[in-house]
Amino acid sequence: MARRYSWILAAAGAMSLLVAGCGSATTSSSSSSSAPIKIGVPVPLSGSYASAGEDIVDGAKLAAAKINGSGGVLGRKIQIVPVDDACDAQTATQAAQNLVSQNVTAVAGGYCSSASLPELQVFHSQGDLPFVLDASTNPQLTELGYNDVFRTIGRDDEQGPFAANFIANYLHAKKVVVMDDNSTYAVGLQQDTVKALKSYGITATVQHLTPGQSDYTSVLTQINQLHPDVLYYTGYFTEMGLLLKQAHQLGYTFQMMGGDATNSPTVLSTAGSAANNFIVTTAPLAQFLGTAKSYVTQYTQKYGQAPGPYSVYEYDAVSVVAQAIKNAGSTKASKINAALSKIHDFKGLTGTFSFNKIGDRTPAVYITLRVVNGKFTAYKELNDAGQWVSVH
Amino acid sequence: MSVFVQYLVNGLTIGSFYALVALGYTMIYGIIRLINFAHGDLFMVGAFAGWLVVAAAAGMHLPVAMQLLLALLIAMLAVGLLAMGIERVAYQPLLKSSRLSILITALGVSLALENGAMIAFGAGFDTFPANILPLTGFHLFGAQVGYVQVAMFALALLLMVGLYLFVQFTPVGTAMRALSFDQDAARLMGINVEGVVLITFLLGGSLAAASGVMMGLYYTQINFMMGFLMGLRAFTAAVLGGIGNIPGAMVGGLLIGVLQSLSAGYISSQWQDVIVFAVLILVLVFKPTGIFGERVVERM
Repeated sequence: MARRYSWILAAAGAMSLLVAGCGSATTSSSSSSSAPIKIGVPVPLSGSYASAGEDIVDGAKLAAAKINGSGGVLGRKIQIVPVDDACDAQTATQAAQNLVSQNVTAVAGGYCSSASLPELQVFHSQGDLPFVLDASTNPQLTELGYNDVFRTIGRDDEQGPFAANFIANYLHAKKVVVMDDNSTYAVGLQQDTVKALKSYGITATVQHLTPGQSDYTSVLTQINQLHPDVLYYTGYFTEMGLLLKQAHQLGYTFQMMGGDATNSPTVLSTAGSAANNFIVTTAPLAQFLGTAKSYVTQYTQKYGQAPGPYSVYEYDAVSVVAQAIKNAGSTKASKINAALSKIHDFKGLTGTFSFNKIGDRTPAVYITLRVVNGKFTAYKELNDAGQWVSVH
Repeated sequence: MSVFVQYLVNGLTIGSFYALVALGYTMIYGIIRLINFAHGDLFMVGAFAGWLVVAAAAGMHLPVAMQLLLALLIAMLAVGLLAMGIERVAYQPLLKSSRLSILITALGVSLALENGAMIAFGAGFDTFPANILPLTGFHLFGAQVGYVQVAMFALALLLMVGLYLFVQFTPVGTAMRALSFDQDAARLMGINVEGVVLITFLLGGSLAAASGVMMGLYYTQINFMMGFLMGLRAFTAAVLGGIGNIPGAMVGGLLIGVLQSLSAGYISSQWQDVIVFAVLILVLVFKPTGIFGERVVERM
C-alpha cells in the first residue's frame, strides 16, 4: 500500500516539476519589482573540486556586494544563488532545474565543462535563461550556437595558437616537439598547437606518452635525439613534474613548456630546482592581472587566502550580467540575452572584452608564466599590437 | 650506442625497483602457493612510511644521510610487521581452505590498503623533498648516469644478495626451502610452519617497503594507487623469472625494466606494456615454468 502511494507521489512530483519548468519563462519576468534579482551559480560544492567551486562562489559574492554597494541594478539588489553540480552531468541537470524553479533571472558560473553542458541544455530549453560561463573552456559549449550562452574565459582551442605564437615569435624555436598524454584534452591542445605552428613554418614532431608511469627517461632520451629547441607538453601536472626532473637528471637542456593543466604547485614540489625556467601557457590568475590588484587584496582580506584560478572570471561574469540587465532595462531573459550579445569593450577585472557572435570572449586572455627560484612568476603576454611584452 | 646505453641504464634502475617487489611475490608463492595481490600495496605503504619518516626527521634537523637511513629502516620494519599482521589475520585462517578464497582475500586486503591510504593521505600526490638526493652524475659510454641511480641499483643488489644468502645459509632459510618442498613433511620434521611463513611475510614486506622508499625518493611523487601498477609488473617479473624462484625474480625484474625502457625508447611508450606482456606470453608458451623455473616441486 505504502509503495503504491509513493508511486503516486513521485508522479505528482514529476508533474509539478514539469509545470514549474514550463511556467518559469513567464514567472521570472513577472516577479515583484522590489525583490532581489537572483543570479544562479552552478558549481561543484562537494567532491574533489569543491574548493574551486567555493572560490567561484566567493568571487560572485564579491561582485554582488560591489554592485549592491552602488545601488544595485534597476533599483533592485543582486542575490547570488549557489547550487552544487558536483562536476557530474546527472547532478548538474538537477542543479539547473533547481535554479529554474527558484526563478533566477540569469546564471553565471560553471566549472567542469562536462557539467556545464547539461546545465546549458536545461537553461536553453526552459526560457533561454542567460548563462555566462566563467571557467568551462570546452569549445563545444558555445559552438552549439545557443543565443543565451556566453563566457568570460578563453576556449581550449585558443591556447594552441597562443602557445605556437610564443614558440615561434618569442622563443624563435626551429625544432619543436609537442607531446600529449593521449587524453582528449591534451590531444586537442597538441593538434591545435601543431596546426598553428605550421602556419609559422615550423613542422613540429608529435610525441605521446602513457600517463601514470613514473619513468619517462626513455621518451625524453628519444626526444633529445631530435635536438629540439622546445618541448611543449600538453598533458597534466603529474607527468610534467617528472619530465622536468628526469630531463634535468639526464642533462638535457631544451626549453620545456607546458599547457595550462601543468600550472600546479605539484610540478614545483616534484621537480624542485629542475623546474626553474619552465614555462607555462595559461589563463592568468588574478594575481598576475594588473587590472585585478585591488580585487586580490579585497578577496584575501575577506576570505583569508588568495583567490583561486577562476574567481576573478566569475566576478566578471556576474558584473557583465548586471551590466546587461542594466542595459536591457528589464529582467526578461530574451532582452538580457540581446543586451549581452551587444556588450562591447566591457571593462572587467580580467581586461577589456566583448562577446563574439557565438558568445565567446574576444580577445581571449592567455599569458605565459615562468618558474623563477622555485615559483611561478608572470612572464610574457601579447599586447594589442601583437607583440610579446613582459607582464606587469 | 650512447642512446642504447642510456636506455639500458634507465631500464636497470627501474628494473631494480621491480625486482625487489617481485621477490616478495615469489617467496610467498614459493611457500604457501598464494599470489599475494596485496603485495604491490605494501610497496605503496612503504613509500608513505618513508615519506612520513623523512618529514619527521627533517623537522628534527637530522642530516640528510641519517634521514634516508632512518626512512629506509623504519619503513622496512613497519611494513614487514604489517605484512606479518596481514598474514596472521587474513591468510593464516584460510591456509587450509580453497586456493580461491585466499586469493579473493588477498584482493580484499589490497583494496583495504589502497583505500586506507587514500583516507589517510588523500587522493592526490604527495612529494618527497625534491632536492633531497643530488641530481648530478657522470658519463658512461656517452650516457648520463646519476650517482643516485648507481646507489639505488647497488642497494637493491645488496638486499637481493643478502636475501639469497639468508635463504641459502641460515637455519630459517633452510626451513623456508624445506617448506617450499613439502609443508606437511616439514611440519613432521619439527619445523614451526606458522613461524616460518610469518618470517617470509616479514622479509617480503620489508623488501617491498625498501623498493617503495627508494622509488619515492627517486621519482619524488607518491600516491595511494602507486602499488597497483607496480604490483602488476612485479608479478609479471616473478612469473617471467619463474615464480617461486628467487634469482628468477631478480632477473625477471631487471629484464622487465630494460624491456620497458627499450620499447619506450625505440618504439613508443604507448607500446611498452604491450611488448612486455607479449614477451611474457612468448616465454610462457615455450617455457611454461619461466626462465629459471625448474621442476615443479623444487622452488626457491
